Amino acid sequence: MEGSLNVIGYGLAAVGPGIGIGILIGKAVEAMARQPEAANTVRTNMFIGIAVVEALALLGFVLAFAI
Amino acid sequence: MDVLATSVLGAVEYGGPWEVPPIGELFNFRPLPGLEALGVDRVVLMLLLSTLMICAFFYAATARSRIVPGRLQAAAEGIVVFVRDQIALDIIGPKGRRYAPLLTCFFLFILVNNLFKLTPGIMFPPTGHIAIPALLAVIAWLVYLGAGIAEHGFLGYLKQTCVPDAPKGLLVILVPIEFLSNILLRPFTLAVRLFANMVAGHMLVVITLITIHAFLTFGPGLPVGLFALAVSPLVFGFELFIIVLQAYIFTLLAAVYIGASVSHEH
Amino acid sequence: MHLPFILAVEGAEAELQLLPDVAELIWGFVAFSLLMAFMFWKVFPRMNTAFDERGAKIQGQIEEAERLRVEAEQLRRSYEEQLADARGEANTIVEDAKAQAERLKADIVARAEQEAQQITARARDDIETDRTRLVSELRGQVATLSVELAGKIVQRELDESQHRALVDQYINELSGLN
Repeated sequence: MEGSLNVIGYGLAAVGPGIGIGILIGKAVEAMARQPEAANTVRTNMFIGIAVVEALALLGFVLAFAI
Repeated sequence: MDVLATSVLGAVEYGGPWEVPPIGELFNFRPLPGLEALGVDRVVLMLLLSTLMICAFFYAATARSRIVPGRLQAAAEGIVVFVRDQIALDIIGPKGRRYAPLLTCFFLFILVNNLFKLTPGIMFPPTGHIAIPALLAVIAWLVYLGAGIAEHGFLGYLKQTCVPDAPKGLLVILVPIEFLSNILLRPFTLAVRLFANMVAGHMLVVITLITIHAFLTFGPGLPVGLFALAVSPLVFGFELFIIVLQAYIFTLLAAVYIGASVSHEH
Repeated sequence: MHLPFILAVEGAEAELQLLPDVAELIWGFVAFSLLMAFMFWKVFPRMNTAFDERGAKIQGQIEEAERLRVEAEQLRRSYEEQLADARGEANTIVEDAKAQAERLKADIVARAEQEAQQITARARDDIETDRTRLVSELRGQVATLSVELAGKIVQRELDESQHRALVDQYINELSGLN
C-alpha cells in the first residue's frame, strides 16, 4: 500500500477547490442569466477565478507525487 | 531504437494484466542515441516540431494575404484577433496591443504542444514536462515584472504590487503575503497549473488505454473493456477541452498579470 | 508487454520529474524564441499590413458609399425640385387657359349682347323710318285722294293749291286724333 497516503492527501486537497469551483461556476451562470449582456466579462472572470482556485487542487496533485 | 519503440503504433498484446506502470516510465525520456551531449530527447523534437508547424501554418496563411481572406488566412487571423481582442485588449486595456504578439505566441505554443497529447503516433504533451511550463511562466514573469518596472519604476512597482490599501498595523502582515503571492508564487502557480493539468490528462488517457488493452478481450473482464472503450471518446473529448482551456487560461493569466503590473490602480 | 505507443522509456527515472531539465529548458527557449522571431519577422507585419489594408479598403468603401449617398440625395432633391417646378408650371398653364377662356367667354357674351342691342336698335330705327315714311306717304296719298275726291265732288270751284292747305290742316287734325 505504498503511496496510498499521498492519494488520500490529494483527495483531501481536491475537496476545497471542488466546492469552490462549483460555487464559482454556479454564481457565474447566475450572473450570466441575470445579465446576458455582461456574459463575456463574467466568463473571462470565471476562468480567472477557476484558474486561481484550481491551483490548490493541482498543487495537491503534484505534491502527491513529489513527497 | 527508443524512438521506434516509443512511436510505433500497434504491436500491443491484448488481455495482459492491468497494471499502471511507474509514472517515471510514462513521462521520462532518455536522450536520443547520438544526441546525448545535446540533451535532445523526444520532447525536444516535439518542441521544435511545434515551432515548425506553427511557423509553417502562419507562413502559408499569410504568404498571400488578401483583402477578402481565404479559409486558411481567416483561421490564422481569427486566432490572432481572438488573442488580441478577447485577451490582450480586454484584460490589459489599450496598452495590451504591445503584448498581443507575445500572448499569441504563448497561446499557439502551448496549444500545439498540448495537442501532441492527443496526436496519434505522438501521444505525449511536452507541456507535461515541468521545464516547458516553467520556461513559459518565467518568460511571462520577466515580462510582467519588466512591464511594471517600466511603467512605475522599480520602487513604484514594488509599492503598487505589494502595498495594499490597509491600516498600517496590518501592512506588517500583508506586505510579505502580497510580495510572496504576487512576485514569487504567480509564475510558480502559472507553471504548475499547466504542468499538472497535462500530467493528469496524460495519465487519464494512459489509464483509459491500458484498461481497454487489458480488458477488451474474451474473458470475465470484457464488460469493463467495453465500458472503457465506450467512454474513451468522452475522455478524449474532455482532454481536448482541457487542452484548449489550459492554453487559454495560461494566456489569460499572463495577460491578467501584465495588466495588473501596468495598471495605475492598487 | 507495456504499451509502446503511450509509454516513454523503460528504465528512465521512476519518479515524476518536478525540477526542470536544463537541456529541455534551453531547447524550449530555443524553440519559443524561434517561434517569436519568426512571428515577428514574417507573420505579424504581414498580418498588420493585411488588417490595415482591409481597414483602409473598408474605410474607403464607406466613404465612397457616403459620397454616393450624398450624390443620390442631391439628385433626388433636384428631381423633386424639377417635379415641383413642372407641377407649378402646369398649374399656371391651366390657370392661364382658364382665365383666357373666361375672358373669351365674357368677350363673346359682351359682343353678342352689343350686337343684339345693335340689331334691336336698327330694327327699331327701321320700323320708325318705315312708319314715318308710310305715314308721310299715306298723308300724301290721303291728301291727293281727298283733293281728287273733293275736286270730283266740288268740281272746278276749288283751286288745288288754295284748298290744299285746308286739307292738310284737316289731315293734321286727323293725325292728331291718332
